[in-house]
Amino acid sequence: MADKLTRILYVEDEPDIQMVARLALEALGGFTVEICSSGDEALQRAPGFQPQLFLLDVMMPGMDGPSTLKMLRALPQFCNTPAIFMTAKVQPGEVAGYKALGAVDVIPKPFDPMTLASRVQDIWDRCHG
Amino acid sequence: MADANELQAQLKILCDAYAAQLPEKMKQLEQAWEQLPLDSWDEEGFQTLHRMVHSLTGSGKTFGFSLLSDVARNLEDHFKQLAQAKTTLNEQQRSHIQGLMSELHQATLHRDAPVGDQTGLTAVVPLSQSLAGSKHIFVVDDDHEQAEELKVQLCYFGYEVSVFSNLADFRLAMQANPDVTVLIDINFPEDSQGGVQAIKEIQQGRDIPLTVIFLSAHNEFDARLEAVRAGSIAYLSKPVNIGNLIDKLDNLTSTLSSAPYKVLVVDDSESLSTYYAILLEQAGMVVKVVNNPLDVMVPLLEFTPDLILLDIYMPECNGLELAKVIRQLDIFVSIPIVFLSAESDLDKQLFAIGLGGDDFLTKPIQPQHLISSVTSRIQRSLILRSFMVRDSLTGLLNHTAIQDQLVLEVARAKRQETSLAFAMVDIDHFKQVNDTYGHPAGDRVIKSLSRLLKQRLRETDVVGRYGGEEFAVILNNTDGVAAVKVFDTIRKSFSQLQHFADGKEFSVTFSCGIADVLCFNDSPKLGDAADKALYKAKHFGRDQVVLANDPAATRL
Repeated sequence: MADKLTRILYVEDEPDIQMVARLALEALGGFTVEICSSGDEALQRAPGFQPQLFLLDVMMPGMDGPSTLKMLRALPQFCNTPAIFMTAKVQPGEVAGYKALGAVDVIPKPFDPMTLASRVQDIWDRCHG
Repeated sequence: MADANELQAQLKILCDAYAAQLPEKMKQLEQAWEQLPLDSWDEEGFQTLHRMVHSLTGSGKTFGFSLLSDVARNLEDHFKQLAQAKTTLNEQQRSHIQGLMSELHQATLHRDAPVGDQTGLTAVVPLSQSLAGSKHIFVVDDDHEQAEELKVQLCYFGYEVSVFSNLADFRLAMQANPDVTVLIDINFPEDSQGGVQAIKEIQQGRDIPLTVIFLSAHNEFDARLEAVRAGSIAYLSKPVNIGNLIDKLDNLTSTLSSAPYKVLVVDDSESLSTYYAILLEQAGMVVKVVNNPLDVMVPLLEFTPDLILLDIYMPECNGLELAKVIRQLDIFVSIPIVFLSAESDLDKQLFAIGLGGDDFLTKPIQPQHLISSVTSRIQRSLILRSFMVRDSLTGLLNHTAIQDQLVLEVARAKRQETSLAFAMVDIDHFKQVNDTYGHPAGDRVIKSLSRLLKQRLRETDVVGRYGGEEFAVILNNTDGVAAVKVFDTIRKSFSQLQHFADGKEFSVTFSCGIADVLCFNDSPKLGDAADKALYKAKHFGRDQVVLANDPAATRL
């Protein structure tokens, strides 16, 4: 595969979820993960980190996931970077809504730390397959 | 890539930290709830409360609190309805939320069994152990004569038997927790249900239930029910049909349940497949992992799994295509294939099953879920397979199955450059046994040889009943000369076995022909050579073992 997924920017406000996701994505998935606790932080750090994929929690205080993605998309280097939303609110109709907002897929929360990395990889493979 | 055990340890630390924070989180949540005004709608306060609950929904299961996620989601759904109305909560709404909050509190105390936790898995493991039965049998019957008679008969079939004429002696012997199978009468002089009572008491003190067969002159439903309640696995009416009894005992000790299950995991993710492998191995299974689907053929043929766990999304060849390829091999037509995927669309799942899958597990999979679903698939498939490939009288592989197995084992021996010998065994003058002592006696002779072969050969050797009084054995990692030694010992033991019919005693012998894969390098040649050697053994006077000559050597 031409572009192997290595760099993920993850936006999540909850520290305990941040930790378990870092473990799941770095130790289990072998990815390099940059974690931001808010949409603002993500906007500041994304250009320096040059992520290949965004992983965004939907419900966050302040700027939520979809708004964060909109702002990121406004930066020219991220107008095509795939994004995945993570949310506890997944109704069949809602997934389509999130995709309309520019996400390639939605990972439901609570996620299983043991399979998170492979889910992310699967989604990546699908949009590059 | 991190070591899976270390990952588990790290994960456990995170889960413990989460668990430790839960009481504080619950306290904050309850405060937020109590601070909501009773007489008006407080949008901001309600949002705060909602977000706290939402955070539990989204995290609980990740950290091993599945129930917490479920209850929180329930509460959230309720909040969503209230948030639309935005009106002061009435008494009924308040008490409903209060109820869900206390459920939530309860749920914080309900932690899932940790991943790979041994106590969580023991429910699966001892199953096969408890089914194993024992070669040692206690016969408990106040009718001493009948008990001794049973002992004599059972001894012919290779069982070791101790007789007890009263319950007191039996109870005393059971205090040592011996590994035995118990045959016990129900009715004793001191108590018409004495046998059942004694067993019930003994069962209470045991982790793995004692294997018990009740014997009774009564055939009423009540007595049978009581026997089942005492944990019996069979109930036989007196006078005992010895053939029936032996079948029950043989089923208990049959090799079917004792070999560990073999699972082939095909998943391109090394870390995930290792994780599955560890889970299944902890449940007592043998697991082989293949990360590149294109490499599946050799492990498939050499490992001969009982079940294949197949990831759907893989580069180069996806799981659905792979399932089709596997199904097109005759010997794997009936193997259970379980797909693993994040796919939750029912239509796509059904499509996958149509292509040859048996089941569909959606990732993320709970460890217990994976183990129990794999275990039950294999159990059912083995039972079905046993009807297809096992001989009903002896429980050995039947003619077709042993031939299929020979093809596999010869291929494996050649690839791995190990030795292999194939033996054909035929009971001498078997027709005379049947004619003189009757067919039931003949069947007992066949069973006794089958049992002797199973007892004396290794687990890795494959024993089959070729037909009638003929047996076939594949000896892995054994050359022809060693195989001759093994079978000569078995031949001597068998000829010394005493068989009984109608009060008459008789003995029987067998002849055996053996061929070595070094001299006969494919399965038809090997089978033919063993058959010819057997014919020679018969021709030279029976009761002997003959090794097929190396055709290359005779030409010299």
